[in-house]
Amino acid sequence: MSLRKKIPTPRLIPTFSVILGLVILVYALASFPTSAQAAPSFSAPRQEDKPNNDFCLACHQEEGLDKTLGKESLPVTINPTEFGNSVHSKEGLLCVDCHTDISDYPHPDVKVKNVRDFTLSFTETCKECHEDQYLKTHDSVHQKALDEGNKEAAVCMDCHNPHTQTRLTGQTSGELTPAARLHIPETCAKCHDDIYAFYKESVHGNALTEEGNTDVPTCIDCHGVHNIQSPTTVTFRNSTPFLCAKCHTDSSIMDKYGISTNVLDSYVADFHGTTVKLFEEQFPDQPTNKPVCTDCHGVHDISKPDNPDTGIALRENLLVKCQRCHPDATANFPDAWMSHYTPSPENFPIVYAVNLFYKFFIPAVLGGMIFYVLTDIYRRILNRIKGVKHS
Amino acid sequence: MSKKAIDKPVLYERFPLWRRIEHIIMVLSFSTLGLTGLPQKFPDSGLGIAFVQGLGGIENLRTIHHVAAIVMMFGTAYHLLYMGYSVLVLRDRMSMLPSLQDAKDGLQALLYNIGFAKEYPKMGRYTFEEKMEYWAFVWGAAVMGATGFMMWNPITATKYLPGEFVPAAKAAHGGEAVLAVLAIIIWHMYGVHIRRFNKAMFTGMQTEEEMLHEHPLELEEIKSGRMRHKPDPKTLRKRQLIYFPIAAILAIAMLGGIYGFINTEETALKTIPPISVTATPENGAAP
Repeated sequence: MSLRKKIPTPRLIPTFSVILGLVILVYALASFPTSAQAAPSFSAPRQEDKPNNDFCLACHQEEGLDKTLGKESLPVTINPTEFGNSVHSKEGLLCVDCHTDISDYPHPDVKVKNVRDFTLSFTETCKECHEDQYLKTHDSVHQKALDEGNKEAAVCMDCHNPHTQTRLTGQTSGELTPAARLHIPETCAKCHDDIYAFYKESVHGNALTEEGNTDVPTCIDCHGVHNIQSPTTVTFRNSTPFLCAKCHTDSSIMDKYGISTNVLDSYVADFHGTTVKLFEEQFPDQPTNKPVCTDCHGVHDISKPDNPDTGIALRENLLVKCQRCHPDATANFPDAWMSHYTPSPENFPIVYAVNLFYKFFIPAVLGGMIFYVLTDIYRRILNRIKGVKHS
Repeated sequence: MSKKAIDKPVLYERFPLWRRIEHIIMVLSFSTLGLTGLPQKFPDSGLGIAFVQGLGGIENLRTIHHVAAIVMMFGTAYHLLYMGYSVLVLRDRMSMLPSLQDAKDGLQALLYNIGFAKEYPKMGRYTFEEKMEYWAFVWGAAVMGATGFMMWNPITATKYLPGEFVPAAKAAHGGEAVLAVLAIIIWHMYGVHIRRFNKAMFTGMQTEEEMLHEHPLELEEIKSGRMRHKPDPKTLRKRQLIYFPIAAILAIAMLGGIYGFINTEETALKTIPPISVTATPENGAAP
C-alpha cells in the first residue's frame, strides 16, 4: 500500500493544519518557561513544540507503509511495540529529534533517489548524541570502503537499527551485557554471512550460538568495534599471538574449560614463536614467514584440537598445516613442534631428558671448573704471601 | 737459574703460524656463534632483545649465526686435514691424546693447590688443563654440529629420525651453548688470560722460563734431544705424495658435507601463502 493513498483529501488539509497549528501554538506558549532550558539529557523536559511520537505513529504504525524513492520503495512502517522497547524510545527521544526535517504533514520532499542514499544521509544524525562512536567509525575499514565509493559499507544504522535497537551496555557498568554479546555475530552476519557460516561451526561460534556461552570471543573481541581495522594487514597478523593470548592466558576464563594458559609462553619458547616475538617487536609491519596462531588453528573456523576431522592434535591434520609452509615435510615432521606442551616424562620425554641432562651437566662441569680455579687462586695467593715461587 | 733466562730469553716455538690462524678463526666464529645464539635462547631478556635489534633483527641474526657456523665448519675441516698431515706425514707425536697421566696430573694439581701435595705436577707439551679444553671443544663441536644440522634441516632430519629429535636438538644446542660459553669464560679466561696472560697463541713463542713453569717435561725433552726430528726431505716428499691426494679427497668430501649442511633442503617457503579470510581451505571445513 502506498503512502499516497492514505493522504486525506486536499480540502481537509488546510483545516487540519490550522487546527494543529493552533494546538501546537497554545501548547508551546503554555510551556514556554520550561522549554527554554533545553537540557542535554534525554529525560530532561523537552521542547514541546515538536510533534510527539504518538502523533507520528498514528500514521506510521500502519502495516506495509512505504515511500517511493526513485525506483525503490522505502518501508516506513514503525512497529510501536518494537520502537517502545528500543533504547531511544525508553530514553524519551522523539521521532523528530532524528528526523529533523519533518515537523508536519505533508512531509518535505526527500531529495535522494534510492534507499541506500537515504540511509547514508542519516549518519551525521547519530553523531549528535554518539560522537565518540561516530568518530571511531571514521577510522574503520567500513568508512574507508565508503570513502572509496562502496556505498554498501556499513554505517551506524546498518548495525544499530535506530527504531528497534535495545540497550547494549549495562546501565551502570557501561560494559557490553552478555545478552548483547550473544547477538553480535548475527549483526555482522547481515553482510559477512559467509564468515558467519564458518564461525558458527567453530569452537568459539558453536559455544556462543548453541550454548549461549558468552566467554567466547564474538566478532568484535578480535576485530574491535566501531574503529574496526583491516585484519589482512601484516601488522594485524604479526600481533595475532598477543590478541589470542588476551583470553588464552587469562586463567579466570580458561580454568573453567581446563584449557592451558601456557599457550603463549610455549609458543614463544619455540622456534616459530621466538622469531615472531623478536620480529614483531622490531618490525611490526613487515611480513615474516613464521606462523602465528591462525596459521595452524584457523581463523573463523577454529576447531578443538581433538576434533577428529579437523583437530590439529591429530598428527595427520597437523601435517597438512605444516606443509603449507614446509611443502616437503613428511610424517615425522609434525612432532618437531611440541604442541604447546612443556616437555615432561609423558610428553616429549627425549626433550625432557636432554633438558634434565644439561640441568645437571652444566652445573657439574662449571662447578668443577670453578672449584679448581678457586683452589688455584688460593694457592697462588698463599705462595705469594709465603714468598714461594709457584712452579 | 730463571734470572739467566730472563736476561737472555731463549724462545721456543709453541704454535706455528698455521695453528695461530686456526685459533683466530675459531675465536671469531665461536664468539659470533655465542653472541648471536644466546639471544635466541633467551628471547625474553632485555639485553638479548637489544642485541637482536642492534644486529638488524632476528632474521639477520640467524644469517650471521649461520655464516659463523659455516666458518667454524671450515675451521674444523682445516683442523682435521692439518691433523692428518701432522700425524701421517710429519709423524708428530699425538701429544693431545688424553691419558691416565692427565688424570693423575689433574688430581695432583688440585691436591697441591689445597696443600695436600708438595709439588705441582710436571707436564709435557699439553697440560691436563689444555687437553681438557681441547676435548671439551671437540665434544661441543660434535654436539653443536649434529644438533645444528637437525635444526637447519629439520625436514631431512625427520625423514630418518623421530620428529621429537628436532626440539631435543634445540634443547641440546642451547644447553651446550650455555655450557661452552661459560666454560670458555671460566676455564679458558682464567687459564690463559687471568692467571698469566699467555701470549703464545698470538706470538707463537714461549720463553724458557714459561716452558719451565708450564711444560717442563717438553723442555726437558727438547734439551735432551729426545724430540722427534722432522723427517728428511726425501721421506717427507714421499709421504706428501701419498697424503696430498688423500687430503684432497677428504677435503672435497668435507666441502661436500658443508655444502650439504647448508643446502640439503629448502625448509620453509619464504612467504606464507595467505589464509583465506573465510577459512583455511585445506582443512576441509569449507562447505
